[in-house]
Amino acid sequence: MTETVKEKTNSIEQIRYGCAIGALHTATAIPRVVPITHCGPGCADKQFMNLSFYNGFQGGGYGGGAVIPSTNATEREVVFGGADRLHELIEATLKVIDADLFTVVTGCIPDLVGDDVGSVVGEFQRRGVPIVYAETGGFRGNNFTGHELVVKAIVDQFVGEYEGPRETGTVNLWSLLPVHNTFWRGDLTELKRILEGIGLKVNVLFGHESKGVAEWKEIPKAQFNLVLSPWLGVSVAQHLEKKYGQTYLHIPAIPIGAKETSAFLRKVAAYAELPQEPVEAFIAEEERRYYLYLEDFSDFYAEYWWGLPAKFAVIGDSAYNLALTRFLVNQLGLIPGRQIITENPPDDVRESIREEYRRIAEDVSVEVDFEEDSWAIHNLIRETDFGHKPPVIFGTTWERDLAKELKGALVEVGFPASYELVLNRSYVGYRGALSLLEKIYTTIVSASA
Amino acid sequence: MPINLKTPVVESREQRLGTIIAWDGTAEELAQQSGYAREGACGSCGPKARKLCEIQGPFTQGSICSEMMVECQAGNVRDAVTVQHSPIGCGVGQVIYNSIFRNGLAARGLPVQNLHLISTNLREKDMVYGGIDKLENSVRDAFERHHPKAIFIATSCATGIIGDDVDGAATKLEAELGIPVIPLHCEGFKSKHWSTGFDATQHGIVRQIVNKNPKKQEDLVNVINLWGSDVFTPMLGELGLRTNYVVDMATVEELAQLSEAVATVSHCFTLASYMAQALEQEYGVVEVKAPQPYGTVATDKWLREVARVTHREEKAEAYIEREHARIAPKLEELRGKLKGIKGYVATGSAYAHSMVEVLRELGVQVDGSLVFHHDPVYDSQDPRQDTLAHMVDNAGDVTNFSVSSRQQYQFYALLQKVKPDFIIIRHNGLAPLASRLGIPAIPLGDEHHPLGYQGLLNLGESILDVLAHKKFHQDLAAHTRLPYRKEWLAEPDPYILARPAVHN
Repeated sequence: MTETVKEKTNSIEQIRYGCAIGALHTATAIPRVVPITHCGPGCADKQFMNLSFYNGFQGGGYGGGAVIPSTNATEREVVFGGADRLHELIEATLKVIDADLFTVVTGCIPDLVGDDVGSVVGEFQRRGVPIVYAETGGFRGNNFTGHELVVKAIVDQFVGEYEGPRETGTVNLWSLLPVHNTFWRGDLTELKRILEGIGLKVNVLFGHESKGVAEWKEIPKAQFNLVLSPWLGVSVAQHLEKKYGQTYLHIPAIPIGAKETSAFLRKVAAYAELPQEPVEAFIAEEERRYYLYLEDFSDFYAEYWWGLPAKFAVIGDSAYNLALTRFLVNQLGLIPGRQIITENPPDDVRESIREEYRRIAEDVSVEVDFEEDSWAIHNLIRETDFGHKPPVIFGTTWERDLAKELKGALVEVGFPASYELVLNRSYVGYRGALSLLEKIYTTIVSASA
Repeated sequence: MPINLKTPVVESREQRLGTIIAWDGTAEELAQQSGYAREGACGSCGPKARKLCEIQGPFTQGSICSEMMVECQAGNVRDAVTVQHSPIGCGVGQVIYNSIFRNGLAARGLPVQNLHLISTNLREKDMVYGGIDKLENSVRDAFERHHPKAIFIATSCATGIIGDDVDGAATKLEAELGIPVIPLHCEGFKSKHWSTGFDATQHGIVRQIVNKNPKKQEDLVNVINLWGSDVFTPMLGELGLRTNYVVDMATVEELAQLSEAVATVSHCFTLASYMAQALEQEYGVVEVKAPQPYGTVATDKWLREVARVTHREEKAEAYIEREHARIAPKLEELRGKLKGIKGYVATGSAYAHSMVEVLRELGVQVDGSLVFHHDPVYDSQDPRQDTLAHMVDNAGDVTNFSVSSRQQYQFYALLQKVKPDFIIIRHNGLAPLASRLGIPAIPLGDEHHPLGYQGLLNLGESILDVLAHKKFHQDLAAHTRLPYRKEWLAEPDPYILARPAVHN
């Protein structure tokens, strides 16, 4: 492998995440919750049109897209401060917008000029208005860290204190980053379905299966928190542990396919101390169906004439990257060529992520790369030896030309997926794995002649 | 007032033209109050004709910013790179403008590629110590990676506030790299309307890219447009003229020869006003002073004016006659089919005026229109470019004429007043609401679709197509819930929250 000797640049070409105010989607992903943005005139539209529209054409939902109230800060708010303007906007929003909770998120302008957003929002909170705020100026971090800020803001400022009893068998699910992950709606639905299948009650919190703020109010009652991602949500779970004395189970790899999913469910069941029999009955029924379909697939996989890729690369954020890599290696028997993690995970979690890749399978160990700049990412892919035939790349729209250059196939699995329409499609669990198989091999077969 | 090209910072629309973003009345009234030859400028605003009364309310929804327009213009020049000097959030715009760029290239038959935009990715530390080192680094990265013919630098709200000396860095890097390095000042907070971002890009191009010693090309016409399909080449070809499409998908060389052309035309004055005037002022490239070429009346005038300034009158007359005869039967057929249909136009300003003319010529009833902003005058200040007055004089008044900077909450009441069968849009944000009310939209992604004689027929056909969509939208309308309070939806005046009129 050629080592890139040049010192790492600050430049990011062909971006793969938004800034902290992109976490306005953390609010829009909760039914009937509407963000209020205190920022320049373009910020709300930008985060929506890119993270949501040109990423699976997901739609603005109830309170997203062009619905989002914004101060559209001007020179006046820069010079004189924007606290009054924010106050005025919130007051007017209450007259116009019908929501169960408002989430104020800030952009670079108020965070730089030092608006006291807390005291503006605090006044409304004291009046009993359901409203919270988080300081999410773009220079503070990306939409992953912004998401954790907004979640904690809702927990601290809206859910509030709780001293009552716990509900055994109820779990809060913290997993994929809503909206940024193109398939989050379908995936959360599948995760909720399988966790309920083994007997849990699931607070899924985001997406069309969530019960909105009523469900968020139930967070402290849950028996435990399940963090299903390499790192995102761990700090939320730790926060909840401190606040409510709730324990958490952290499973880094989101399961795809029967093997992974059954093992995942058994792990959760053991942690939640669920009775074994119904868990095994659910797993058996799911596996029965899954393997019948896998058998159907095997005819194609064994007999297709025109060649299928043997090696693959994954370019994406750690959650999907790890999940896909485990599935492709362990279920399909593909050979990992290059795995690049793109969401800039915090330094202190990188070693644990590396460890996950080092034990993908008993006989497969992968050294993963962390890179956000697509120029460097594409060079890493070009430097990779994919052997005698072109790879299948699991990536984004940014890889469309690269895949052609390498004569390989591209499956757009993450932000930005500008050439996919995604509604409830899922790639995880039992059912999502089958959709993923369909997608991968339709892509390859369809391009063959 | 001449265009000032001496400073690197463009004068905003509101400074130059008196642009407003909120207003409500009839088209006739707005035309009266605007800055052209008509009598009766707004009395309470004082003697300056261009000062329009603007309304301003406490509730606003997210709009669009100038920086986005720089991304989608400078960022779509094929052999240049644009460096976004900003925290990473501004950089997400790379996604939409890449998708549009790719599809635009494909539609125009040009090689499809990803755009070249680089974010300097400023962090908290840079807000304290400044981001110039990172800017210089990214400009050098841009140069080494892509060997571009020019590098644009887009500023951001953050860099505007911390006061990075972008101009100084650009001057230094231009000398170092030997290619134009062009600062484009486009902080979102500095203008209330995003079209200042068009001007910022064009300001930089005229200052630093166009050929300062032009060799005239007497058959070359600049076409300032977006990603639209190639309809100008055949039209201008009839007159023996060649097209120079700018800014999107152009090469730096094509931008450089802007000063060599004989004339400049465009699909929309909102986009083209600044550069067309600057080229005339600096290089004598004639800006064609005629209405925009939509509908037969305006297209006739436009062709005759193009022909006049390029001395090709005879060819134009023959072409006009041929085209009138060609489209007549189909136009008649469409008018029959569209009888009794109501349309609503919700697009950028000058473009909307033309769309109303096209719809009325097709026999579609237009009782309402929304524009995102209003420029009382364009940079030429020539009344022949008064698109609003042309609409009123040629196609009649529009009784519900609203200026609303993509404010969806106002759009509900506007649609209730007019109850159209379909709407015409270009920008995102309004059609989703119309859709939930059972009203289909025609998104004119290809801005040239309704242009010229053929455009009349194109739009007529598209209306018939979209009317069939009603089934989808009405089903949706029966199963959807709007995010607005009942009290607000019951309010007939969408501007009720506005404060008493303020002067801009």
